[in-house]
Amino acid sequence: MTADTYTDATQAAGEAMIQLEAVDKFFGDFQALKDINLSIGQQEVVVVIGPSGSGKSTLIRCINRLEKHDRGRVVVDGIELTDDVKMIQVVRRETGMVFQQFNLFPHLTVIENVTLAPRNVRHIAKQEAEDLAMTMLTRVKIPEQAHKFPGQLSGGQQQRVAIARALAMQPKVMLFDEPTSALDPEMIKEVLDVMEELAQSGMTMIVVTHEMGFARAVANRVVFMSDGQIVEVGTPEHFFTDPQEDRTKLFLSQIL
Amino acid sequence: MIGGPTAVATPETSERPPETKLTPGEWVRKNLFSTPLNSLVSILFGAGLLYLLVGVVGFFITADYQIIRVNLANFVVGRFPRDQLWRPVFATGILSVAVGLTAGGLTIRAEALARETGSTFRRSTPGDWMRRFWPLLLMIAVMLAFTTTVTPTLVSLGVIGSGVVGNYLGRLLPAGARRWGWSIPLLGLAVAYLALSGFGGLDWNQWSGLHLNLFLTVAGIVFAFPLGLALALGRRSTLPTVRAISVTYIEFIRGVPLITLLFMAIFALGFLLPEELRPGNVTRALIAITMFEAAYIAEIVRGGLQGVPSGQVEAAQAVGLTPWKTMRLVVLPQALRHTIPAMVGQFISLFKDTTLVTIVGLTDLLRVSNQANAQPDFLGQGLHFVTLAFVGLIFWVGSYTMSREARRIERRLGVGER
Repeated sequence: MTADTYTDATQAAGEAMIQLEAVDKFFGDFQALKDINLSIGQQEVVVVIGPSGSGKSTLIRCINRLEKHDRGRVVVDGIELTDDVKMIQVVRRETGMVFQQFNLFPHLTVIENVTLAPRNVRHIAKQEAEDLAMTMLTRVKIPEQAHKFPGQLSGGQQQRVAIARALAMQPKVMLFDEPTSALDPEMIKEVLDVMEELAQSGMTMIVVTHEMGFARAVANRVVFMSDGQIVEVGTPEHFFTDPQEDRTKLFLSQIL
Repeated sequence: MIGGPTAVATPETSERPPETKLTPGEWVRKNLFSTPLNSLVSILFGAGLLYLLVGVVGFFITADYQIIRVNLANFVVGRFPRDQLWRPVFATGILSVAVGLTAGGLTIRAEALARETGSTFRRSTPGDWMRRFWPLLLMIAVMLAFTTTVTPTLVSLGVIGSGVVGNYLGRLLPAGARRWGWSIPLLGLAVAYLALSGFGGLDWNQWSGLHLNLFLTVAGIVFAFPLGLALALGRRSTLPTVRAISVTYIEFIRGVPLITLLFMAIFALGFLLPEELRPGNVTRALIAITMFEAAYIAEIVRGGLQGVPSGQVEAAQAVGLTPWKTMRLVVLPQALRHTIPAMVGQFISLFKDTTLVTIVGLTDLLRVSNQANAQPDFLGQGLHFVTLAFVGLIFWVGSYTMSREARRIERRLGVGER
């Protein structure tokens, strides 16, 4: 499958929300991303899978400029990411991110975690921001924890707060970087449930995960990466039942 | 966990190891005389300790404290004009109110926090306060024992009383005080300074005695902290010039002893500046102390900054916070919290280091001690040990109180529990 075919497929699904064109990324001499071409439409849910070190995280971190790509173009909602700091801020405001290690602010209560950005980036009044935060906390089903500190919550609860924190900025895109990998098994489901509901609400999502069940059930497309390259892209049915590439088959045989 | 008050889980009684209650006699036999060697060591050290104790206690019982009785005011306020003593008294009262207000404000804040997070909070009783500040109370009692009139006792009670009143007022502060509450101690310092120096008072270059040591400590902290913070941030700056200046400053100052800086400030600054711009000697010493402390504070803050995981910065960036707000709202609050133990250690050593100004000719507590021994009434009577013990008590009380308070804050914030 070539870059052109899946670009066309996306544009049929809707206007492109995120566009990656010939993106290369180096860490010193190591090339983390090689000629990445990917277009993601509005309301699309894309799951990125692949062995560790394949560049999955680097890929989504380039979308909100936590990593700076070295060559090619990254365009988010019509804004190209360059060294222009103002434009980076605009993109980050519209892009929520959820991390493997939650990265909640431990010195702030849950509600302060969620209101911090709306108040300090969007400059929303305190009461309004708190109402918004409670709405988001209700959405991730933990409004009753609003006044606790992150350290008092379980991993699954913390990750749901992290999702609420990202949603409070009312982003157009949500990036998930292995959101369940640091969780105890019994807490994975509560986070995946929240993510699934988010997908059903029409959020554009890119999810790096090892949860194949989630990919199968929720993804519009699955992207398989290996050695910094996109090896194969397809719908979940195609991808899991009829993979084209040998590397994909090998990977799937190892995990399924 | 950091940030919230900690809930302590009480284990079931059955899970606890059985407690063995020893009678004092059993304890002594088990710990001091378990083997012949142990017995020998115990007897030798016991005898040595007893000998020392008898000597020291005997000395202090039989010592003549007239030198302290006569010079008590000199120790505390130095040469502050005796008809102006209401100024330091008033200033101390103001500071006491400010401390009380701050403590009261923090109490209601901690209470509100405990309510929200569902943990318990117990207000301190007067008994708690006395246990908490017993060294300070001991020092005040010792000082009052050397007074001859009732006035100092009344003044001390007045100062403590104003602190208590401040504490009650502090508990009435509105919830919004959280944002400007930090300015209360600074405001207290400013008013205290005005009371001492303003309206015909005494310029700080004339201050002496314990008053001078306290001033150098507090002013040193107040001026060095922002400078140190700026240097620490400068050291992490992406601008090469800023980084180079910060690193050079920090590494240069840390490579020089404080006493050298003091000598340079007192004796060399005069050559560099035109006469009308030359600051007084206390100001010069303060400049040296501030420059010195700032470099160390910068390194402490740097350590704290390094302790904040990079994920915190990434999370702040990802929600769109600017680098400045990321630093102010996310990184610094966490970094500074972790620097409290080291920072207080630095402040304690600063308090003790202020005695170095004796060497460059300022009249601090240590010099007052020496001057007292040079008075005709006390000359050559070997009373240095008495005055130095008194000075030592004051420094010990100050340092020990700071260190106890720091440990308390640490426990409160749960530092070191991660």
